[in-house]
Amino acid sequence: MNVNRRNLFKIAGAAGAATLAGRALSSAAPRGSARDAVGVLVDTTRCVGCRACEAACAEANRLAGPEKPGDETVFASRRKTSPTALTVVNKSAVKSPSGEDRYAKSQCMHCVTPACASGCVVKALEKTAAGPVVYHEDRCLGCRYCMIACPFGVPKYEYSKAAPLVKKCTFCAARQEKGLPPACADACPSGALTFGKRADLLEEARARIYQNPTKYIHEIYGENEAGGTSWLYITDVPFTSYGLPSDIAKKSYPEMADGALSAVPFVVTLWPPLLMGLYTFSKRRDDAAGAESGKEEGHE
Amino acid sequence: MSEQALDREVTFSAFFREKVLLGMAPKTYAKSLLTKTNAIFAAILAIGLPTMAYRFWKGMGAVSHLSQTNPWGIWVAFDIVCGVALAAGGYTVAAAVYLFGQKQFRPVLRPAILTGFLGYAFVVVGLMVDLGQPWRLPYQFFLTPGTTAVMYEVGWCVFLYLMVLALEFLPAALEWMGATKVRRYMGTLTIGIIVLGVTLSTLHQSSLGAFFLMSPGKLHPLWYSPFLPIFFFVSSIAAGIGMVIFESTVSHRAFRDQLDPTAHVDMGALQLGLAKGGAVVLFAYFFIRLQGLAGSGRWDLLLTGWGAWYALEMLGFVLLPSFLFAFAVRTQSAALARAAGIMTVLGVVLNRFNVSLIAFNWNVPDRYIPALGEIVISITIVTLGVLVFRWIVNRMPVLHEHPEWRGVH
Amino acid sequence: MHESDLLSPHATKAIEYLLAVSYLLLFIPFWRFVNGASPAQAFSLGWFHVPDNVHLHRGHSWARTFGGAVAVGLDDFAHKLIGPVDAVELPAVGTALRQGQKAFTVVADGQPFDVVSPVDGNVVAVNEVTRARPSDAVRDPYGTGWLLKVEPRWLTANLKNLVSGDAARRFLDAAAEALSGRMSPELGVVLQDGGTPVNGIAREIDPAHWAELVRKALRAE
Repeated sequence: MNVNRRNLFKIAGAAGAATLAGRALSSAAPRGSARDAVGVLVDTTRCVGCRACEAACAEANRLAGPEKPGDETVFASRRKTSPTALTVVNKSAVKSPSGEDRYAKSQCMHCVTPACASGCVVKALEKTAAGPVVYHEDRCLGCRYCMIACPFGVPKYEYSKAAPLVKKCTFCAARQEKGLPPACADACPSGALTFGKRADLLEEARARIYQNPTKYIHEIYGENEAGGTSWLYITDVPFTSYGLPSDIAKKSYPEMADGALSAVPFVVTLWPPLLMGLYTFSKRRDDAAGAESGKEEGHE
Repeated sequence: MSEQALDREVTFSAFFREKVLLGMAPKTYAKSLLTKTNAIFAAILAIGLPTMAYRFWKGMGAVSHLSQTNPWGIWVAFDIVCGVALAAGGYTVAAAVYLFGQKQFRPVLRPAILTGFLGYAFVVVGLMVDLGQPWRLPYQFFLTPGTTAVMYEVGWCVFLYLMVLALEFLPAALEWMGATKVRRYMGTLTIGIIVLGVTLSTLHQSSLGAFFLMSPGKLHPLWYSPFLPIFFFVSSIAAGIGMVIFESTVSHRAFRDQLDPTAHVDMGALQLGLAKGGAVVLFAYFFIRLQGLAGSGRWDLLLTGWGAWYALEMLGFVLLPSFLFAFAVRTQSAALARAAGIMTVLGVVLNRFNVSLIAFNWNVPDRYIPALGEIVISITIVTLGVLVFRWIVNRMPVLHEHPEWRGVH
Repeated sequence: MHESDLLSPHATKAIEYLLAVSYLLLFIPFWRFVNGASPAQAFSLGWFHVPDNVHLHRGHSWARTFGGAVAVGLDDFAHKLIGPVDAVELPAVGTALRQGQKAFTVVADGQPFDVVSPVDGNVVAVNEVTRARPSDAVRDPYGTGWLLKVEPRWLTANLKNLVSGDAARRFLDAAAEALSGRMSPELGVVLQDGGTPVNGIAREIDPAHWAELVRKALRAE
């Protein structure tokens, strides 16, 4: 898809308008239960490591192309995403039981209840009802709390710029507005990436595992991780061999801060009467000690 | 020029000379600034201010070791997180004097409020340095507030509390300026302001701990706890006590000429009074931290290297100062209380560093080490704070009562 | 996230309860330890005050019991009578003291004044802070202004020779009255605005023979 400047402004405008409209929806939407929310199923048994997804992503986001295109040596070390590479494909450290190389794409997981969005003080990162966690460049103040909060370590920061921004996969929210699949899923030649509704993809993943019980590991990465992510992985080698973190809690991350946040109204309500009571009590005690303490202090 | 205008001219320059130049002629004042201490400060600023300018010109990456794995460094860990904890003396002493009726702490109330006010003000400076687009700071209040964010609550609290501290310190400034009418109008500080200050402080001190609640995988289990907010709040009380003891000791030596010799302030007794509070708070804090450990059930981690580091923080910088404070009060040794005060402050700094920097990302191979530029800027921010503190203390009735306002509060 | 993999939930909860109870049990002695040497609750009484838990000797030294030991110092009256103190000469740790015999010496304006001990016993500690800044003692003569800590030998018997509470106040009242008889025309001179005596009454009353005046008061007649 050729994205020239005019189209970009059109898309940005449309996205902006849609986000504004979607904003009301997403704040009202029950956390993580939008039945039509989209997702992608990554079946690594089908991934051939061609990195067409990286190239498509770079093009869709107007970035310089992927590192070492077509060069296999790029898989020698595990790569992470960066401000200029919103998705990367990594090779598994171990071969599949059938002796093949395995590869997996890494990008923002677009969590069902994202820690980054709940922690963002200006709603620059926002979970849309459609599924993608989008980023509003015009709001971000660069506190980088999203980077602290994200358990997957996804958001990347432009430290070298004068007006730096957070960079991460956008799930091609703009393309999705127009009814198109994300660029990576569109470009994938081997069917490793399946774009659709998350609920349907979970069924699909379960079906594949059920029908091939000896082939796949009996787990869908992303089903419950961080309370559920939009990007789901099924594979026949351990998830950690691609660098997918294994220490992700199987519950919603924003919930972990709920206790502290819900205590705020209680403190605001209870502290004043408690403290005023303390004041009254100590004042009464002082008054009882009376003129004596007055004289003691010298002046009061 | 009209006579009235001339009058105003004359009185303004007289006021400026009297109040700002400490009654000296400009040349004399300038000469009085040529001291050894000021030479050191000047050297720090000569290196630090250009570094800060460079940071804003070339971006954070040019002066810091902040990375994609380590987005928060010492600007957050020290200038912001420690800065807020160490400025806690403002609300603890205000609560002690006004709410608990412990009027013997009045002599350190204004210095504590000033330390608090400047502490928070320079936390904001540190924030400006750390933010990628600091000019957007007001967005959280007026544009697109992220109401689910802990940082939203911190932002509002710190902002409001800065206003409260300014109000609490304003009487001193008004007395200095001779603005009698306004000062009289302000009257005594209403208890409402104090209660508001304590409530706001409780909220943001604890919320700084809440920042890390969403990071159980990144923060080492010995420090991670769902009760982090409570730990941060309680330790902030201890930090406030320690800082007030430390600051009063330093001020009474460095600013001896600002003290009122007829005021009969028994600083030793005062510090011992604070030490008693410190002993009890630290004792309780030690046990609630232990409860956190019990809740996690990870006693096994005490046998690791990290466990030794945790034990050092807990035993050496929480329990030990608690006992030292207790012993100091028992033997009425103000010197021991001062030593314990310094240890308490270091202990809270160590804890904040552990939670936000050292034990954070503990299992990541790419560990963060502060860059020289970051250290220089942090030192510069502290230096600026000290210089402003000194400027104010040398002019305004902070360490002494204004003769016209003696006994009025 | 590790949710106490090694300990069962029951064990974890049991430890938590145990910890809480231990804390409460430990807190009591801790609190008492910290409060052991609280500054005395003084009652302002006319010119000179003496707190309830302090026992005065006729020679104007005082004793306060805490735990098994006794703190010793100079009372409010004697401090104000003597005035600003240059130095205090305190006995070495281990010195044996006898009730009514010299315990320590207060030096003011170059003049030494011996003060007798209120109790029998051995010196176990001296107040270095007050020794360094003796003039601070007048601000809290029964608290931070303590001079010696003594391990008493015959405490119960000693206490019978000392006065405390209302009796102590009457004693100081009488001492004040005796003084006021000496300074009728000069009454205004020795009193500050608030009606409390200046520091150094003896010098105000009788500049020429003030040392004699002090020694008489301390001589425990």
